[in-house]
Amino acid sequence: MTISTPETSDGGATEQVVPFTKIAAAMARGVCQDAAAMRALVATVIAVGPDDRLTDAADTLRALGDAGTVRGILISPGENPSPPAQVAGNTVWLRGIKAPYLNNAVAALRLSSLPSLVWWRGGSEDLLDGLADLADRIVLDEAEPERGWRRAVSLFDSSAFSDLRWARLTQWRALMAQFFDIPEVRAASREFTRLHLRSSDRMAARLFAAWLTSAVSFGDTFNVDIEDEGQRDEPGSPLREVTLGNGEQSLAIKVARGLTCVETSVSVRGHRAASRVVSLVNHDRTALMTEELRIRARDLALERAVRGLVGGG
Amino acid sequence: MTAPALDNPLHDGLRIEPTPGPTTLVIFGASGDLTRRKLLPAIYHLARRGRLPAQFAVIGIARSATTDDEFRGQFRDSLKEFVGAPAAADQVAASLAERMYFVTGETNDADLYARLASRLQAIDGAEGVLFYLAIPPTVYASVIENLGAHGLAQPPERGWRRIIVEKPFGTDLASARELNHIAHQHFSEDQVFRIDHYLGKETVQNLLVFRFGNGMFEPVWNRRYIDHVQITAAETVGIEHRASYYEGAGALRDMVQNHLMQVLALVAMEPPIAFTADSVRDRKMDALLAVQPLVTDETQQTATIVRAQYRQGWVNGSEVPGYREEPGVGQGSTTETFVAARVHLDNWRWAGVPFYLRTGKRLPKRTTEIAIQFRRPPLEIFRRASQTPVAPDLLIVNVQPDEGISLRFEAKLPGTRMQIAPVMMNFRYGTTFGGDVPEAYETLLLDATLGDTTLFARHDFVEASWALITPVLEAWRDRHRAAIATYEAGEWGPTEADRLIESDGRAWRTL
Repeated sequence: MTISTPETSDGGATEQVVPFTKIAAAMARGVCQDAAAMRALVATVIAVGPDDRLTDAADTLRALGDAGTVRGILISPGENPSPPAQVAGNTVWLRGIKAPYLNNAVAALRLSSLPSLVWWRGGSEDLLDGLADLADRIVLDEAEPERGWRRAVSLFDSSAFSDLRWARLTQWRALMAQFFDIPEVRAASREFTRLHLRSSDRMAARLFAAWLTSAVSFGDTFNVDIEDEGQRDEPGSPLREVTLGNGEQSLAIKVARGLTCVETSVSVRGHRAASRVVSLVNHDRTALMTEELRIRARDLALERAVRGLVGGG
Repeated sequence: MTAPALDNPLHDGLRIEPTPGPTTLVIFGASGDLTRRKLLPAIYHLARRGRLPAQFAVIGIARSATTDDEFRGQFRDSLKEFVGAPAAADQVAASLAERMYFVTGETNDADLYARLASRLQAIDGAEGVLFYLAIPPTVYASVIENLGAHGLAQPPERGWRRIIVEKPFGTDLASARELNHIAHQHFSEDQVFRIDHYLGKETVQNLLVFRFGNGMFEPVWNRRYIDHVQITAAETVGIEHRASYYEGAGALRDMVQNHLMQVLALVAMEPPIAFTADSVRDRKMDALLAVQPLVTDETQQTATIVRAQYRQGWVNGSEVPGYREEPGVGQGSTTETFVAARVHLDNWRWAGVPFYLRTGKRLPKRTTEIAIQFRRPPLEIFRRASQTPVAPDLLIVNVQPDEGISLRFEAKLPGTRMQIAPVMMNFRYGTTFGGDVPEAYETLLLDATLGDTTLFARHDFVEASWALITPVLEAWRDRHRAAIATYEAGEWGPTEADRLIESDGRAWRTL
């Protein structure tokens, strides 16, 4: 085995640069040296994207790998059939691998008999088709998501998809869904005329609106307006405020002062007005990916919302 | 319960756990230790996670004259101490505190219940009311009767009334039956939640998943493959200034009758036909009914249960007094602080497989675990090559402090010689899945507000457990003048406990 320029990664695991054929041995050795990694493994996460989009993904995978539960494979496509691999603990980074070799690399390195999840951080959408065959689930995570969404629509029937932007909306969707558990809210929904969203991520706001309007039948005069705060505050909450209703009835969810909590309030005819405060969930990538690792099934609500946004299928 | 509405189209794809409908939690014993340490932090955590409804309120009840504002201050103090200072100051805590109220009174004073009723009426959204008895067991009956007499146990047309009763539920079979009888005069069984916080622990619940959610363990979960089971609940603490309670309880009532019997039943039960409250509890009940009576003969070798009391010794690097030197404990006390038992279940699955239980205070280590020791291979073909005997395979379920499961098995040591050594594979809840593991009280409080009784003890289980324990209590009471065995604080119990298991050719697990 050739080991060159050993260095220490942020996570503390010793980083080694090894040829592809020595990755398994290097990982095994790294795992043996790291007592934390002797824990139960749950999945392989394969992060694919341009080099500059994989640096923070590497931190996330190292955090998950340090807990000893995930094997992380970072792949930035390029022109090299067999690039040297950087191995640190349970994470391996293949920089510049040539596209035709990518699927084979994933097949060779993923953990057997455990789920594989592709974390798509951008690049040529053509690669998605092959990865979709290898992975149990694909998590989209692009700054400009529309092209990826369009390609994903054609793969929905064969692969399970998620989206980190969508994952950041989960708490907002859950809080909205809980409003609709109230019979009076469901009864009043046809009278709602406006969905107002204040957002730091316009695409997330559009996705939320697409989800809501794909699931609930509103009246003909219903309209959506998005107030764009203009500044994407990753990894914070993508939305600041959602208000659904008409002049006299409203369902409201908004980030409270201090940005650590969300306040909800409901005021509809026939139901006692009520409000509550809950903690704003952690939206950092490690927390979101931890959640994603718990999901296996297709997400039909996402599929409907994405189809609503980009068309197709 | 406000379960997610079936016709709510927004639930599609969302893993939303049900949130209770409007709920008021009424805590009897609101100034007590349990409320401060466990209940108030659990309420806060549930609120943070969005698991409580908008119309959630707390009414604290205690003897000490306390205003609503003072109670809110106690809530913040509790968060500061047991959750952390930021929690006490955050908006979730502030929002919860706004809906916290206090009613002062004696639990045997009828006027208290009249005032409680009017307070409940004044609270917006008190459709569901959960009474929590965090009070001494001696006043359970009086509170239950007063709740009934004032119409507070009766569910309104739109809403519910439930009651959580802390352990110990009774002090023997007769008192447990009497308490069940009183409870059933005012509450139906599905309104009564007898809490055992062990059942709220992830690992204990995971025992059901481990056994019945996997295909590979259940086929070997029987007398053919299992040699014996050891269930240990060890504490390093003493009685922590609770002499008045502990002198009347002892380890048998405090730990064995409830926690250990529940765990035993989960290990030994047959598969339920579904994961529903009654299906699970029926099978646990079957297991308990198969347990053979315990024998207390302390002078001969036939005892299947032994007791002991700790002497002065060293624990965690500090010298600690003996039990009889603890404040409030008499010099002649024969209250047991340690119990070990060999339990046999007379059924098809477990005939001939002993379950060894041990629990005690002032033991060397705080740990609760279930260890399932498998039989050795029928033929020891490696005996000559290996020189060291092959250790039996062992499955260990860690209940606390590190919730998880470990499997010990034999492996060949690398090298040209045939050498064998045990290896351990570990699975830990705290790290494997990420995220927080909820506290047992969070799980159980939420289940009670949702009306799910699966993780609570049913009346017949409590009585069957007392039916096993009461003859032992009576035998020990009758010979209370006899010297009780002792063990040095910081050691793993008395020699009598070792004899109990060694007489079967086995040994307690080294922990």
